[in-house]
Amino acid sequence: MKTVWTVMRKELLDFFRDRRTMMLGLLMAPLLFPALILGMGAMAESRARTQLESTLEVPVSGAERAPNLVAYLETRNIEVIDPPEDPHTAIREQRYDVILDIPVDYPESWRQSRPALVEVLYDSSRQDSRIPVRRVESALRAYSRQVSAMRLVVRGVDPALGQAVVSGRRDLSTPEARRGMALSFLPYLLILSAFLGGAYLVIDITAGERERQSLEPLLATPSAREAIMSGKIAAACVFGMLSLLLILLSFKLSFQFAGSGPFRGVDVSFAAMAKLLAILAPMVLIGTTLLTLISASVKSVKEAQSYMSVLMLLPIIPTVILLISPVKNQLWMFAVPFLAQNQAILMVLRAETVEPLEWLVYLGAGLGLGLLLWLVAARLYHREKLAISG
Amino acid sequence: MIQVENLHKTFKARTGLVRAVDGVSFEAPDGRITGLLGPNGAGKTTTLRMLYTLMRPEQGRVLVDGHDVVSDAGRVRRSLGVLPDARGVYKRLTARENIAYFGRLHGLDEATVEQRTAQLVEALQMEDFIDRQTEGFSQGQRTKTAIARALVHDPSNVILDEPTNGLDVMTTRGLREFLKTLKAQGRCVILSSHIMQEVGLLCDHIVIIAKGKVMAQGSAEQLRRTSGEDNLEDAFVRLIGSDEGLAA
Repeated sequence: MKTVWTVMRKELLDFFRDRRTMMLGLLMAPLLFPALILGMGAMAESRARTQLESTLEVPVSGAERAPNLVAYLETRNIEVIDPPEDPHTAIREQRYDVILDIPVDYPESWRQSRPALVEVLYDSSRQDSRIPVRRVESALRAYSRQVSAMRLVVRGVDPALGQAVVSGRRDLSTPEARRGMALSFLPYLLILSAFLGGAYLVIDITAGERERQSLEPLLATPSAREAIMSGKIAAACVFGMLSLLLILLSFKLSFQFAGSGPFRGVDVSFAAMAKLLAILAPMVLIGTTLLTLISASVKSVKEAQSYMSVLMLLPIIPTVILLISPVKNQLWMFAVPFLAQNQAILMVLRAETVEPLEWLVYLGAGLGLGLLLWLVAARLYHREKLAISG
Repeated sequence: MIQVENLHKTFKARTGLVRAVDGVSFEAPDGRITGLLGPNGAGKTTTLRMLYTLMRPEQGRVLVDGHDVVSDAGRVRRSLGVLPDARGVYKRLTARENIAYFGRLHGLDEATVEQRTAQLVEALQMEDFIDRQTEGFSQGQRTKTAIARALVHDPSNVILDEPTNGLDVMTTRGLREFLKTLKAQGRCVILSSHIMQEVGLLCDHIVIIAKGKVMAQGSAEQLRRTSGEDNLEDAFVRLIGSDEGLAA
């Protein structure tokens, strides 16, 4: 135990003496992430607002066949403009988001009070045409309802007869949960920071120390190799938790100051932050032990670093799987690394309660995996090759 | 006291197995300086690594004060002071912190660490740079720091891999005197070198190693006599049977 403490103190002292690396390691993420998130949030919001509230210009081919409809669209803040020569190509070339086509037989059907066809041309693979298309369609539906109601009234029929069932929607999601949806990428950032935040420190104190050939005298001391390794892991965990703490504080401050936007009212109380820290602690342990294991098994720092790009993808996998086939929260999920963190972080941000049993499974699985990786890494620390380099 | 019996060690290389150490035996008694002399790549460092427990001998055994280095590694390490080939001094720690770190890893308390450091600083003349971070140290300063670090726990056996490598004349002379005081204190000192004069001047017992085998051993005087050469360098060349890897 004394050795663990001695090694940890030395590694931290060594690291904090390297001012520039330390500053970059500790402060980069806390400064960058909020800027990134708030910037993205603000952009998305302002874009949605302009698309929803600004005057929408829609080319209408055959506008002269439906003057009444055109007049109605103008009242809905949709300005009808002249159509391009070839509407289909215009959409494909993304010159317009949406184009209305009023066919030749529209006036005829209109006069005979038959359903008259109006075609909405758009490209469903384009994200930014979604809002304009919705606006045009909702305007068309409203127009259709209005006209049909008047036709019924003219014929002396109650328009309500045309409606057998009225469906009403009541959204029961909590306000926090709705905001949480906007935060679906936040778990990834947090998990990644926890998982690989101390990566270069871990690689440096095992693979780097080996490359600098200072591991040889260190391992020739009577201290147990497990203890030396644990000291190094502990130092990296302390650093990892410290940097997470700073990241969470920066989130807290920026969300509080953000004022409006999709992030307003996200649960950033100190209790929630403490819970997030507790959720991320096993991730820090797993990341550190895994990297120690890798560092102890490779020949050089360079080789260890080449694992990083693969490791960075690991936390995305559960998010992607959930995106493709969303499943309800179930207990087993709390035992799967990355997925568990993802679910638990979302629950905390949505201000839901994580049940004691879920905590138990979560911490048990996380710390268990950490212990397993520790055991494997400890075995590698006993290899003859580790101490000898060059 | 270190006894080495019939050590073997092979490495896998792309060209096949390399016999780095092939049947090395010798004895290094307390109060003596034993020198391993051999050209570069002769197997000196590998032999020493087996002595200080970082490598397992494939055959043969090493006893340090009667304890086997494989089965009783922890005990052996406590009685060994090791200066490896690569000094491995932490550059962001001061010389004093480097020494204290190893003192603590050897289980010494702070007072002992301080007291031992003070003794070693005086003996090795490290007053000028003891509280400086070791980044930018000269080769001599680095070696002294590493030696002090290796001796902080007052070991009865000292193993030094090429201790004077890269040092200037004055530092080398100072270091030689220091090694003689270690001997006078009754410690068992083993050092390796590829420099004849050095080994000739310093060592009571010389083990000549080439291609992983012991070619001859004895005092400088005995070696000169067996080879029939007056000068140790010629004796050395004759004994290893070639002049490859020699540096004066």
